[in-house]
Amino acid sequence: MLQAVDISMASLNLITLSPMLVIVSGALLIMIIDLLKKDMDKSLFVMLSILVLFVDFGATLSLSINERGFFDLMLIDGISVLSQLLILLASMLFIPLALTQKRFHEYSYPEFFSLFLFMVAGFQFMVASDNLILIFVGLETASLALYTLIAMHNTPGSHEAAIKYFTMGAMAAGFFVMGSAAIYAVSGSVELFDVAKVLQQRMNEAGIVLPIIGGAVLLLVAIGFKVSLMPFHMWTPDVYEGASAPMAGYMSIVPKIAMMVVAVRVIGFYIDLGMESVRYMVIALAIVTMTLANIMALVQLDVKRMLAYSSISHAGFVMAALALDTTKAYSGIFLYYGLFLFTNLGAFAMLWISRHKKNRYHSRFHHPYEKFSGLISTSPMGAVIMAIFMLSLTGVPPFSLFWGKMYIISATVDAGYIWLAIIMALNSAIAAYYYLKLIVYMFLKPPVAGIEAVGVNSSRPLVVIVGIAAFVTTMSVFFMEPMLTYINYMVSVSGY
Amino acid sequence: MENILSVLVFFPLVAAILGFLVGKKSIRVYGISVATIEFLLTLWLWFAFDNSNGGFQFIEYIPLVSEFGINYYLGVDGISLFIVIMAALMTLVGIIALNVKKDLKNMIITLLFLEVAMIGVFVSLDAIVFYLFWEFSLVPMLYIIGAWGGELRLYAAIKFFLYTFAGSLVMLVGMLYMAYVYHSVSGVWSFAITDWYALVLPLSIQKWLFWAFFLGFAIKVPMFPFHTWLPYAHGQAPTVGSVILAAVLLKMGSYGFVRFSLPMFPDASVAYITPVAIIAIIMIIYTAMVAYAQKDMKQVIAYSSISHMGVIVLGTFAMNAEGISGSIFQMLSHGIVSGALFLLVGVIYDRRHTKLMSEFGGLALVMPKYALIFGIMMMASVGLPLTIGFIGEYLSLAGFFKISPMLTLLAGTSIILGAIYMLSLYKRSFFGPVTNEANAKLPDLDSKELTALVPLVALVVWLGVYPKPVLGPIDNSVKALVTFMHEKAQTSEAKSVIVVSKRTKEAK
Repeated sequence: MLQAVDISMASLNLITLSPMLVIVSGALLIMIIDLLKKDMDKSLFVMLSILVLFVDFGATLSLSINERGFFDLMLIDGISVLSQLLILLASMLFIPLALTQKRFHEYSYPEFFSLFLFMVAGFQFMVASDNLILIFVGLETASLALYTLIAMHNTPGSHEAAIKYFTMGAMAAGFFVMGSAAIYAVSGSVELFDVAKVLQQRMNEAGIVLPIIGGAVLLLVAIGFKVSLMPFHMWTPDVYEGASAPMAGYMSIVPKIAMMVVAVRVIGFYIDLGMESVRYMVIALAIVTMTLANIMALVQLDVKRMLAYSSISHAGFVMAALALDTTKAYSGIFLYYGLFLFTNLGAFAMLWISRHKKNRYHSRFHHPYEKFSGLISTSPMGAVIMAIFMLSLTGVPPFSLFWGKMYIISATVDAGYIWLAIIMALNSAIAAYYYLKLIVYMFLKPPVAGIEAVGVNSSRPLVVIVGIAAFVTTMSVFFMEPMLTYINYMVSVSGY
Repeated sequence: MENILSVLVFFPLVAAILGFLVGKKSIRVYGISVATIEFLLTLWLWFAFDNSNGGFQFIEYIPLVSEFGINYYLGVDGISLFIVIMAALMTLVGIIALNVKKDLKNMIITLLFLEVAMIGVFVSLDAIVFYLFWEFSLVPMLYIIGAWGGELRLYAAIKFFLYTFAGSLVMLVGMLYMAYVYHSVSGVWSFAITDWYALVLPLSIQKWLFWAFFLGFAIKVPMFPFHTWLPYAHGQAPTVGSVILAAVLLKMGSYGFVRFSLPMFPDASVAYITPVAIIAIIMIIYTAMVAYAQKDMKQVIAYSSISHMGVIVLGTFAMNAEGISGSIFQMLSHGIVSGALFLLVGVIYDRRHTKLMSEFGGLALVMPKYALIFGIMMMASVGLPLTIGFIGEYLSLAGFFKISPMLTLLAGTSIILGAIYMLSLYKRSFFGPVTNEANAKLPDLDSKELTALVPLVALVVWLGVYPKPVLGPIDNSVKALVTFMHEKAQTSEAKSVIVVSKRTKEAK
């Protein structure tokens, strides 16, 4: 006889699911509207999406910290709330970029918006759990939606990008599953807190280290694919190039934040077990990533590809913090991405504003450097704002990313890895060159004759988004204090 | 006016932003007015400054990110006071003499932004705020070189930016490490320089930190072998860019040694006197020789700049009151003299669009006023007694004489070599008959150029004859600094090297 399973609503603690419930119902609502009534303007869906995200933001903010729910699958700790807030913030900034001057294919489908919301739900699941299976489900939900969103841009490049991303993503997913299986094999569980308990006891057994390390390597490969660490970065520049500019900007932030949280949980778990080798693997990956990506970025001809490599390099920079396993380093990760979000999305939005339907400047690229030649004389405001974003990415104070860089380097120094801090500092200096290159084109070179205004795709919503991003980038010093306090609190209550 | 330092920093900032709204025709008057007001404010600062007090004055303190110990913390002492005044003066002179036709408005706004950064560097007492202004100063300078420069301007601008940026990032790591050490000793985060002063570090840590800061400052000074960006930057920059670069931006590096390296790492500084002095001497002799070999007038002055900066570094690392006072005075004199020389080269470049010495000859016949002012500045640059250049150079070398007479002797060749290359420049360009037809009818200095240059000439002579009003406050602060370093030093070697000389002890 099977025992009747008794489940009380209280033990389910459904409130932990509320953010995802909100957003999934929002996505369904959009689909229903589409079924009932055709020919609705995209602005309706844009606004609906923002509203849903806004409610979601509120629901996330009101979660009480350090709770588990739904058979302990859900884990609402500080970093999961924090990362969900960042994801939602980035999504809210991303969605209005659909309201462009020119018409683009993907935004004419309401499905774009519902897929987008499903994707956000997927990311939220990813960060709000320490169960490897639920993380995997979240990852796949988000990724499959993302592949489709990229393909919907409907250019040959975007199809190529989507297929490439899909294949690579599928492989990464495979690695993730194998890594989880390895963990399951040695511990009989896929929930990291359970696994940790079991492994603590079994650490002394002969021959146990190899499967554990094996699992770590497999999971690191999967993480490396998604966060685009070298040498698993091959897809990144091509996919960014093929995707629309805002989508590329979005990809450089949100999936990385989500995967970074998973990495925090997984790698933190290994480091807590005392596996120093995992720490050194992460450091090695981080160094290789920032250095090689910087060198690759130097030789790019296209601004978008340059930004793609630059975001790889930034990911490497953040990855270095991950290996330190101190509260300050973990706070640094979130601070960094919180600031990077505005700057990088702003930079990609600037590319989006300058986007023509056809390639006018180069046979292959939409945004070669020449396009921005002499921007200061044709569109001074645009040039200044783009320069602010570039200087921020370089790490020139007082712009926002300087504070993030400083905080992470400081955390590295505190943890005793001064040599790593110096490598990170020198990498920032290398990176200065390619950001400066764009500034040089914009400010110091004469405009190319016969090119009309660059801001063809501009519209009020786009300008507002860029304005917000520029404002945050410039004025960041004034809200560093509350931001740091909040992040520090959230990270330390999670026990990291 | 308690918050005069904030006013000094933010007045040009507000003025620069408002400058966007000023019409193109009136921008020059606007720029001159703003720079004049700023200069008068710095004079007021001097007036209100308590000369007998060697410590920091006009202190302002507002927490910015207290979680991490970053505060808006400003103050000024005798060491920084005159550099601030000089920065304001040279900006004013630079704007008066400004002679660009293209985008004058952008140029003036950029100069005002640059002034914010320059004043900010010298008055901030928080390492991060210091770093903030330090890095921010690169951006306007990049634009000035890149937008108004010569043929190779882009290369020069980027080289300038990357060199300094790389060095200062290493310095940033040093600062963060220093803050970490402070945190682990005291339990609180702080980037305040005065807090860091109080920290007594073991020699092993001092040595690492010394080199981290050294790299940042050495690239800025620029010290051999990191000096290669400077000739390019000077060669390509427009006149006003060179003036500001030579007069103020280079001083940031040498000021950094005095403000950070010496008081924070006295033992390491003493331990590394010899290598630093050797670098400084290579810099003095080598660049002086290179200067002699140049064909371009501006390059001669650019290399002579590096050579003089070598003397400044040497004086700083004399680690006694004369040497440090002398090097600070030399910073001022070099600022005024090299600034003036670059202005003078700019004058002839505006008329002839060439700076090659071979193109000139007999200019003294055609442009007597110009030749006279150039002559005075040249003498000051060489270090002739009764000019401003003599005092700083003499004190620096006299200070270092106590460390090593031999090395001082070598460094003393800078005066001889300086005389050689400057006099040969003067001879080739100004004396003899007018060989080139194009030079026969050159107009002499006009009223605008005279307005810019005559005050500088007056300063050169005044401070050369009677340096006390400036040297007094500098000396006060330097003595306080040296006494402090003497107390703080741990090794017996450092104790014996860092001394306030007998004469001054008696005077006390």
